[in-house]
Amino acid sequence: MAYSQCFSVSLSHTNTHTHTYALSLSLSLSLSLSLSLPSLSVSLFLLSLSLSSFSLSLPSLSLFLLSLSLSLSLSLSLSLSLSLSLSLSLSVSVSLSFPPSLSTFQTEHKMSIEECCRKFNTDIVQGLTNAKAAEFLIRDGPNCLTPPPTTPEWIKFCRQLFGGFSILLWTGAILCFLAYAIQAATEDEPAGDNLYLGIVLSVVVVVTGCFSYFQEAKSSKIMESFKNMVPQQALVIREGEKMTINAEEVVAGDLVEVKGGDRIPADLRVVSAHGCKVDNSSLTGESEPQSRSPDCTHDNPLETRNVAFFSTNCVEGTARGIVVCTGDRTVMGRIATLTSGLESGKTPIAKEIEHFIHLITGVAVFLGITFFILAVCLGYTWLEAVIFLIGIIVANVPEGLLATVTVCLTLTAKRMAKKNCLVKNLEAVETLGSTSTICSDKTGTLTQNRMTVAHMWFDNQIHEADTTEDQSGASFDKTSASWAALARVAALCNRAVFKAGQDQLPILKRDTAGDASESALLKCIELSCGSVKQIREKNKKVAEIPFNSTNKYQLSVHETEDPNDNRYLLVMKGAPERILDRCTTIIIQGKEQPMDEEMKESFQNAYMELGGLGERVLGFCHLLMPEDQYPKGFAFDCDDVNFTTESLCFVGLMSMIDPPRAAVPDAVGKCRSAGIKVIMVTGDHPITAKAIAKGVGIISEGNETVEDIASRLNIPVSQVNPRDAKACVIHGTDLKELSQDQMDDILRNHTEIVFARTSPQQKLIIVEGCQRLGAIVAVTGDGVNDSPALKKADIGVAMGISGSDVSKQAADMILLDDNFASIVTGVEEGRLIFDNLKKSIAYTLTSNIPEITPFLLFIIVNIPLPLGTITILCIDLGTDMVPAISLAYEAAESDIMKRQPRNPTRDKLVNERLISIAYGQIGMIQALGGFFSYFVILAENGFLPSILVGIRLNWDDRACNDLEDSYGQQWTYEQRKIVEFTCHTAFFVSIVVVQWADVIVCKTRRNSVFQQGMKNKILIFGLFEETALAAFLSYTPGMDVALRMFPLKHRHTSTQTDIHLHKQIVIDIHLHKQTYTYTNR
Amino acid sequence: MAKDAEKSTWKDFIWNSRTREFCGRTGSSWGLILLFYLVFYIFLAGMFCLTMYVMLQTLDDYKPTWQDRLGTPGMMIRPRGKAMEISYNTTNTETWDMYIKTLDNFLSPYNNSLQAEKNEECTPDQYFVQADSGDVKNNPKRSCQFNRTFLEKCSGLDDHTYGYQAGKPCIIIKLNRVIGMLPGKDGQAPFVTCGAKKEDSDKIGEVEYYPENGTFNLMYYPYYGKKAQVNYSQPLVAIKFLNITLNEDINIECRIISNNIPPGSVRDKFAGKVSFKLRINTKG
Repeated sequence: MAYSQCFSVSLSHTNTHTHTYALSLSLSLSLSLSLSLPSLSVSLFLLSLSLSSFSLSLPSLSLFLLSLSLSLSLSLSLSLSLSLSLSLSLSVSVSLSFPPSLSTFQTEHKMSIEECCRKFNTDIVQGLTNAKAAEFLIRDGPNCLTPPPTTPEWIKFCRQLFGGFSILLWTGAILCFLAYAIQAATEDEPAGDNLYLGIVLSVVVVVTGCFSYFQEAKSSKIMESFKNMVPQQALVIREGEKMTINAEEVVAGDLVEVKGGDRIPADLRVVSAHGCKVDNSSLTGESEPQSRSPDCTHDNPLETRNVAFFSTNCVEGTARGIVVCTGDRTVMGRIATLTSGLESGKTPIAKEIEHFIHLITGVAVFLGITFFILAVCLGYTWLEAVIFLIGIIVANVPEGLLATVTVCLTLTAKRMAKKNCLVKNLEAVETLGSTSTICSDKTGTLTQNRMTVAHMWFDNQIHEADTTEDQSGASFDKTSASWAALARVAALCNRAVFKAGQDQLPILKRDTAGDASESALLKCIELSCGSVKQIREKNKKVAEIPFNSTNKYQLSVHETEDPNDNRYLLVMKGAPERILDRCTTIIIQGKEQPMDEEMKESFQNAYMELGGLGERVLGFCHLLMPEDQYPKGFAFDCDDVNFTTESLCFVGLMSMIDPPRAAVPDAVGKCRSAGIKVIMVTGDHPITAKAIAKGVGIISEGNETVEDIASRLNIPVSQVNPRDAKACVIHGTDLKELSQDQMDDILRNHTEIVFARTSPQQKLIIVEGCQRLGAIVAVTGDGVNDSPALKKADIGVAMGISGSDVSKQAADMILLDDNFASIVTGVEEGRLIFDNLKKSIAYTLTSNIPEITPFLLFIIVNIPLPLGTITILCIDLGTDMVPAISLAYEAAESDIMKRQPRNPTRDKLVNERLISIAYGQIGMIQALGGFFSYFVILAENGFLPSILVGIRLNWDDRACNDLEDSYGQQWTYEQRKIVEFTCHTAFFVSIVVVQWADVIVCKTRRNSVFQQGMKNKILIFGLFEETALAAFLSYTPGMDVALRMFPLKHRHTSTQTDIHLHKQIVIDIHLHKQTYTYTNR
Repeated sequence: MAKDAEKSTWKDFIWNSRTREFCGRTGSSWGLILLFYLVFYIFLAGMFCLTMYVMLQTLDDYKPTWQDRLGTPGMMIRPRGKAMEISYNTTNTETWDMYIKTLDNFLSPYNNSLQAEKNEECTPDQYFVQADSGDVKNNPKRSCQFNRTFLEKCSGLDDHTYGYQAGKPCIIIKLNRVIGMLPGKDGQAPFVTCGAKKEDSDKIGEVEYYPENGTFNLMYYPYYGKKAQVNYSQPLVAIKFLNITLNEDINIECRIISNNIPPGSVRDKFAGKVSFKLRINTKG
C-alpha cells in the first residue's frame, strides 16, 4: 500500500522535471513512507498470526506462542535497527544529490534576448499568442507550487495510533486477547480478566491516539490560518495586448510586466528595466533590494542581475521580462521540492521513548521468560505457563504512561503557545530542550528585517541613531544646525512616502512605498523632525534626477521655505565618495567651511568605520543655488542637465542597517550560558553578517576571527593559527571548497561561527555537519531558502509573521512573534518537560513492581492472588494519573538555563538507574507495603501466612466450599473470594498510600524536597484527588459488584498507617538520593 | 561499515577488555551495587518481618479477629463429585468406587470406637458451652461424640456401598465450622431439607434423612476452634435417595433450616445451602 503510493509520487516527479535528483527524491520518499509504518505492519502481522492461531490445534499452540513472543521482541528490535540504518544511508544519498540541482539550472540568463525569445517561441514586443499560451499551459501545468504531498488524515491518525508508546500497548492488548483465547479454548468458565485488560488497553490507546491527533489537528488549523488566500495577479502581454490574468495561468515564454509592489509571478529573464529593484530576501536572505537589468552579470543564476525570481517582490521601478520557468521548475519551486523530499528523522523524544520501550520490553521479557521456566519447573502445564508468561509481560506495560506523556506534552505545548511558540508536532515540544546548536537565519529572525538609520556623521563626529524597535535607545544631539541641514536633505531628496491611512500607527510600524533605504531615512526624519510631508510641502520640488547606477546619486531641486528667499535649493544624496567628489565645502556646526585634506581624511575614516559596521552609507550634500544664475522660474532640465552639480556643500553621512531585534542579544547570551552554540547562517554579505553577529553577541566581545588577528598583528591570514581564533566568518564560496573533514573541523573548533553568502544547499550541509558531530540542531528561518534546512534540522523553527508558507510547512515549530527570544522560552520549556517527564515516568513505573510481584508470588508460592487486574487498572488509569500529570507542572529545580544541553547518547529519558531506583528500590518498598496489608487482611480473617503457601489450588476451586482456615473454620468459595477482593482493595489502597510518598520522592531529582518546597498546587490537588478516588472506589455501595472492590474496615485502614512506616523509608531514600543513587546523570 | 561499528560496540558493551568493564561497569562497581542491594534488601526483609511479627502478635490464638464474612455458614456434601456433579453407572463398579472410598475415608474418624475413646457423651438438645473464666482459659475443650452409627443406613457399616450399587445413593451433608456459631435459638436445632429444583421435583422420589429429620444436634455447638477443641467432631446429616429417577440429570438443592441463620447472599450458592447434580445410569 505504501509502495504503490510512492510509486505514483515518483512518477509525477519524473513527469514534471527530469533532473538528476528526482529519482533519489522519490526514492527517499518511498523509503520514508514505508518506514513510517513499520509499527502498523508489525501489528497487522501479529493480528493475522493471532487469527490464524485459532485454527491451530491446542498443543501446538503453546509452542507456537512461545516462539511468537520471542520472535516478537526480536522482530521489533530488528525493524527498528533496520529503519535506523536505512535512514542513515538515506541522508547520505540526499546530500550527495543536491549540488548539481541548481547549477544545472537555467542558462537563459546567459543567452541573448533574441535567443531567449526563440527558445520560447515568443516575441519581445507582442508576447505569446493566446493559442500558444494555452498550449504551454496544458504542457506545463499551472504556475503554482505543488503543495508537498500532505499525509492523508487517516495516515496521520494511524501514526498517532501506532507510533511510539502505542505499539507497546497494542502488543500488550494483543497478547491479552491471545491469552483469553487460549483460556476460552481450554477452560469452561474463563476468567474475563485478560479480555477486559485487552479491551481497556485498546481503549486507552485509541483514546490517547484521538486526543493527540486532535491536539495536532488544532495546531495545523492555526497553521492554515496563516495561509495567504488572495490569488496573485500578473500583467502579461499576449498578442501585443496587456492583460491582467491570474498568476497561475502564466506560462513559460509569456512577456510579463512588473512594477514596484508586485510579486514576481514566475522566474523572469529581464528584457528591460527602469530602476527596478527586487527584494530577494525570501530566496537568498539578503535584505537589501537588488537592482535588475537586462545584462548578464554573473554566471550563477542566483547572482546575475537579469533574472527575477518567482515569489520575490519587486520593490520599485518597473521591469519587463520573459518567463523562463513556472511553478515547480522555478528556483523557488525547486527549493520547495527539495524540502518535501527530505527525511526529517526522529525527534529526540521519540528516540528516548524507543529506548524506554526497549528497556521495558527487556525487563518484561526477562521476567516473563524467567517465570515461564520457573512455572514449567514447578509443574504447571505448558498452557498455564504461557498464560503466565503473557500475564507477566502485559503486567509490565505501564498502561497509564502513554496518556500521561501525551497530556504532559500537550500541557507544555499549550504553555509554549501562550509564549508565542506554536508547536506543530507534540513530540517537538521537548526537542528544543535537547538542542545543542541553533543555526539561525539572520534576516527577520535576528534582525528586524527593516532598514533603519543607525549612524550619522556630521560636525566631524559619528552620531548614533536609535535603532531599537520601541525607540527606547539613546538619542543624539539634535540641536546642531548641521543636523537640521542633513535632515532637510534627507527629507527632500527622498521619494519614499507613507502609505495612506496609517496615521494612528507608530511611525516605525507604518508601511511605506519606496526603496528600503529611503524608507529608513523617511522614518528617521519623521521621528526626529516631525512630518516630512510638511517639509516637502514647504519646499516644493522643482526638478529631480532619480538614482541610477552610472551616476550613483539622486538629486532634486526645491524652493526654499522662506518665501522671501527666491533661491533654489539643490539636494543630493548618493554613494559617499561620489558625493564628496562634487563637494568643495562642508558644513561644520552649521557653518560652511572649505573642504580641506584633513576633513577629507576624517570623512574617509568615518566612511570606513561605518562601512566596517556592515552598514550601507549614503552621503548627503546641498547647495543654495545663486539667484543670479538660477532665477525664479528657471527651467531645470533633468535629462540634459543645465545646472551645476559640482562644488556643492557636503552635509553629512547617514548609514543604515537592518538592526538586530532588541531582545536578541539577551537571548543569544542565554543560549550561550545554556551551552547552546548559536551559528548564524545567512545569505547576506560577510561584513554585514559579521557586524550583526557582533551586535547580537553571536560573536562575543573580545573574540576575533582569523582575519581580525591577521589585521591586528599585521601578518598575512595564512600565518595565523586557526586555533587561536574562536570566531570565524565563512563565505559561501569557501564553504563550497571545504571537504567534510574540514567542515567538521571548523564546526568543532570554533565556538562562534557565521556563515555568510550561503545557498540553501549549503545551509543543509551545515545542518548535516552539525548533526554529524552529534549535535541536536535547531534551525530558524523564514525564507523559502531556509525550508530544506528547517526540514532537515531536528527542529525547524519558522517565523509566524514574516515566514513564507513553505518554511512554515517544513518547520516543526512556529514563532508567532518572529522573535528569536521566544526560542529561549522554548528551550527552557523543553528542558523542563524533559526533567518532568522523567519524574512522571519514574513515578508511574514505580507502581509496576507492587503490581507485578503479587502475580509472581501467586504463581511461584501459590498464595491467593493479592492484587487483581481490575485494581491494577484502577491504579494505572485512575489514581496514578493526576499525580503523574501534576509532575509536569513541577517548577525547575535549578536554573535549567545554566546547564549544558543534555547529551543524547548519555542522558537518557529512562536509564538503567531510573529503572533501578523505581523497580529495585521504591517499587520493592511499595510491594512490601502492599503485601503487609494483604497479610493483615487475610490473617485477621483467619488465614495466617503460614497456611497460605500452596493454598491456591483449593482457594481457586469453585467446588471447594469447605476450605479450612488456620482456626479450623470452613469457608465457601464466595466467602473467601470476598476476603480476597478485600485484600485487593487493601493492596490497592496501600499502593495509593505509598504513591503519596512516591510522588514526593519523584518530585525532585537533585534538590531535597525541603529545598524545592511543596508549591506545586496541582500536585497537592493530585494527592487529594488520588485519595478521594481511592476512597470512592472502595467505599461506594455497588463497587463490590461493579469492580469487585470491598470496603475496608476502619481498623484495616488504620493498620495502613503502618505502611507510613514504609513510607518513611521511602523518604529516607529520598534524602540520601543526592549522595548516592539518584544522580540521574 | 556502520554495522561493524555497531557490532563491536555491542561486544564492547558486554565485555570491554580495555577498561575491564562488564555491561558498562567495572567489577568493583558491580560489586558495590550488589552489596548495596544486598544490604538494602536485608534491611527491607528485616523491616517486613518485624512488622509481620508485630501484626501476628495482635492476633488472638483461638478466634480470628473478624468473622463477619461467615455469618451464614456454608454447606458441603460428601462425596463432592466432580464440580458438584455425582454421576455413575450402577453396572460399572469403577464409576462409583471412588465415592465409596471417599465416604469410607471421610467417615473413618467417626467410628464408634474412636469417638468413644476421644470424645464424651453430651446432653443432647442443648449447647455444650465451655466458657472461659476471664483470662483463664478452660482448655482443652471437650467434644461430643458423633458416632458413625447415627447415620444408620448411610453409615456404610451394613451396606458397604452406601447404596450406590443399588442406585439408592447416600450423600453426606455437613455444615461448615464457624467458631462460636450457635445455629438455633430456643432449643430448636437446625435441620437439613433437600429438594429438587422445580423441573425435577417429581423425579427426586423419596428421601430419607439420618439422623432423624436431618437435624444437627445443638450439643455439637458452639465450636471452639482447632486449637482449643482438638477432637471436635463435626456433626453430619446423611440423605438417602430411595427411588430417584434413573438415567437423568437431577438438580438437587439442600438447605439448612434454622431460626437464627440469616439467609446467605444471593451470589453465594453455598451459604446455608448446597446444590449438586445427581445422575445414576443403569444401562451399559
